[in-house]
This record gives sequence, C-alpha cells and structure tokens, in this order.
Amino acid sequence: MKKLIIVAVGFISLQSCKAVKEYDMQKINDTTMKLSAQTFERYETAFQVYREAAAGANGGKTGGGCGCN
Amino acid sequence: MRKLLILFALCNISLSFAQENDSIVYKKRVLESTEVDFLLSYYKQDGVHSAVSGGMGSEDLTDVASNIIVSLPMNDDDILTFDVGISAYTSASSSNINPYDKTNTNPWQASSGASQSDALTSLVANYSHSSDDRNLVWNADVSFSNEYDYTSIGFGGGIAKLFNNKNTELSLKANVYLDQWRPIYPKELIDFADNRFFYDVIDENGISTSSYNPSMFSTIDKVNRNSYSASFGFSQVATKNMQFSLFFDVIQQQGLLSTPYHRVHFADKADYYVGQAQYIPVYETIQNQGVYKLADDIERLPDSRTKIPVGARLNYYLNERVTIRTYYRYYWDNWDITSHTASIELPIKISDKFTVFPMYRYYTQQQSKYFAAFEKHLSTEEFYTSDYDLSSFNANQYGFGVNYVDIFTNFQIWKFGLKNIDFRFNHYARSDGLNANIGSIGFKFVM
Repeated sequence: MKKLIIVAVGFISLQSCKAVKEYDMQKINDTTMKLSAQTFERYETAFQVYREAAAGANGGKTGGGCGCN
Repeated sequence: MRKLLILFALCNISLSFAQENDSIVYKKRVLESTEVDFLLSYYKQDGVHSAVSGGMGSEDLTDVASNIIVSLPMNDDDILTFDVGISAYTSASSSNINPYDKTNTNPWQASSGASQSDALTSLVANYSHSSDDRNLVWNADVSFSNEYDYTSIGFGGGIAKLFNNKNTELSLKANVYLDQWRPIYPKELIDFADNRFFYDVIDENGISTSSYNPSMFSTIDKVNRNSYSASFGFSQVATKNMQFSLFFDVIQQQGLLSTPYHRVHFADKADYYVGQAQYIPVYETIQNQGVYKLADDIERLPDSRTKIPVGARLNYYLNERVTIRTYYRYYWDNWDITSHTASIELPIKISDKFTVFPMYRYYTQQQSKYFAAFEKHLSTEEFYTSDYDLSSFNANQYGFGVNYVDIFTNFQIWKFGLKNIDFRFNHYARSDGLNANIGSIGFKFVM
C-alpha cells in the first residue's frame, strides 16, 4: 500500500508540471470520461450496499436507511 | 522517503497556484436551465440464505423504485436540487418475521403478513455554489427517508477546489445520518416476551412440548443508529486522453447496528418447531413445505463499526468510439471484513446519438468475525449473526447500458425537451446462491 501511495503521488506530481490546457480537454470533457458514477447507477449502488458489507469510496451513500431486506 | 513525498507535494502546490494565476477568468452559467430527471428501477433477487429465518430459506425480493430529480439554477453560480424518491418492495424473507399466519408455515415460502411489503420514501435537498472562476465549489444537503420501521435524517456538506488549470481537484465531503429504528421482532420471540405465546410447539422428534424458552431474548432499548462519514477525493487529468481519481472514506457508525428481526439458532440449544413433524428431517431443503423453527434469539452485533474504503477510478479515452472506464476499491472494517471490488465499463459510441456500454464488476469479501452459518453459533458468544451479507463470498455482475442523447431536445413535453435516455440492465450472481437482476431507466428533460 505504501509503495502504491508513493508511486501515485510521484506520478501526480510529474503530471502537474505539464497541465493539459483547457482547449485540449475535449476528450477529457467527454461525458463518458466522467470520474464518478452516473446518476442512474444509484440503484445498482444501493442494492450493492444492501447485499455486500462494503460501502463508500464510490460517491454513493454511506449511511442512512437500514438496508435490511 | 517522507521528505521525497513532501517535496512532490510542494512542487504540486506551487505549480498549481502559479498556473492558476495565469488563467483568464470568464464566467459561464453553471446550469443553463432547469433540468428534470425521471428515474425508474426494477430489482428482483432470490437466494437460499434468509437472515430472517436464521441463515436459510427464501430470499425472494422484488423492489420497484422511482426518483424525480429537479435541478434549478438560482443564478449564474448556484443550483438548488430536490430529489424525491419512493421505493416499494415485496419480500418473502421479511414476510417471515411472522411465518405463522399461513397454513403450511416454512422458511421457503412468503407469508401473507404485514411485513411482506413496505415502502421507502426519501427526500434530499442540495444547494451548491461555484465561485466566479469555477475553481471552488461548495455544497450543503439535507435528507430524510422513512419506512415502516426506520427513519433517517441526514445532513452534510462538501467543498471541492480545482487547481492547475482545472487539471487537479481536491474535495472533502462530510455527512451525518441520525437514524432511528422502530424495532419489530420475530413473532415467536416477542409473543414469548409479552406472555402471548400460545403456539403448538413440537421438539426435534415431533413430540408436543412446552419446553421452549428463548431466555436470551430481550427487546432493544437503544434504537438509534448514527453514521458519520468523511470522504476525501483527489482527481487529476494525466494526459489529453486519461484522468484518474483517488477516494478515501472514513465511516463511523454507532448505535443499533443489528437488525432486530434477524433470527439466530444456537447449536447448543434444543430445537423447537411449529408445524408438521414429517418435514423436520428436510427442514433445510426446499422439500420442507410445512414446519418452521423457533428462534433462540435475534442477531446481536457491536454498537460501533468503523469502515475504511479506499478507491480509485481511471478513465482512458481510447479513440472517438471507445472509452475505458475502470474502478477499484479496497475495504476494511473493524468487524474483520475485508473486500476488493473491481469493475470495467466500455462505452462505445455507435452513432452521434447512441452509446452502448458493456460492463463487468467483480466483488469478493472475507466474512465478519461475528458471522456463522445457520445453527452454528454457540449461546456463549457475545455477538452473533447468520446474515449471509456478512459472510465470505464472491460476486460477479455483468450487464450493459444504452445511452441516447439529443442535444437539440427535439422531443418536447410541455416546456421540457428530452435530452437523454439511459437504460441499464445487470445480472448479479453471488457464490452463496443469491442471484439478482436489475434494470433501470432514466429520462432527462431540460426546460
């Protein structure tokens, strides 16, 4: 895990030295490139939270509601 | 190595601010016009490990859920969003909170009692504000949800800061949910506690008896469940074609974390039944059409749980047709559950208006130290559950989605034009025998 963090921080730092300009971001801004779950994925996230022990780190709800059925 | 990390971080921050000062600020409306999303989902599952019947029995459940999300631009910078939802389910499992109102009681068929169905209603209001240069966004939200035996009130807020010509984003989000149970218990246990127990009980040999005495059962006094969560996010544009994000959450739950109507049967306690004796030898099979085992207690779990998930997304724009979307999450909690989640989605543009996206998700978890299978717990344990959602299993989920976009919103209803239609279907198969299908569809209209 420690190595992963070091590699990630290093990689990020190198990238930050060479920012992509806004006029070059048409691919990054494509709707398929969104860095979060889509709105209507919420129902899948909800049932996964109910049927699996893990939750969180996906932008989904991490509390509230019993999820007991 | 620590010094190296600090150096990298300083390099990041200084360059970010330097580049930010060079950027030209112009203001575009955050949300051009009112948007309305109509979402609908249909979910159906079945399995053989009902927690209500102590870790075995039908898990048949059908849920239909719908949400309407209205996003209103308040001015150039602010958006107010309301999300109203209703979800209705029927469940064979929860119907067996009281399995004694049917002629041939057994854990494999639904009962007709009040607990066979329920509805969840929810309301979330969210207000967000973006700074003039769009590099700072904050939001605040309140939420409410209610079902027959459970009410949840939540509030929270978040802040996101963009640096480095919007190449880098740091975000922090915090939420609090103050929930309250109105516990309902397995029928035989609460009747016994209330001196209303007049059942015809038989022992494991099929002989009538009055020895049933669930002495470990007591009703629950503390009915609150509070959840506190903090989420840290970092996202970075890596190249013109690739970006990724990292998430780190800390979730703390306190209060009643068990479910009051989940039965537990102890291995070191005598077995008692209601129903027909000839079905006792096949109790754990679907051939059992007429006998139900009385509970020794309800599940008992600690009143505190800390969850720590760490996740990452990486999206790569392969070409004009195909994007690769990936996700990974590692999860740990102090009930000794660990899990890995990995998923991939491949959006493929087949025309200007249509995108299809096949998807696959793999999930694996190691069981909680408090879990044991049907009738494997001992009455000497402090905490116990036979809920297979806390067991060890693997799950495969695969499906596809279709997205339709009409940027000109040619199809109109009243003042609203149809902008998007999204459809998804997924099949979910868990290694313990639980299978589920879920389909969802969403329509986005803009004014």
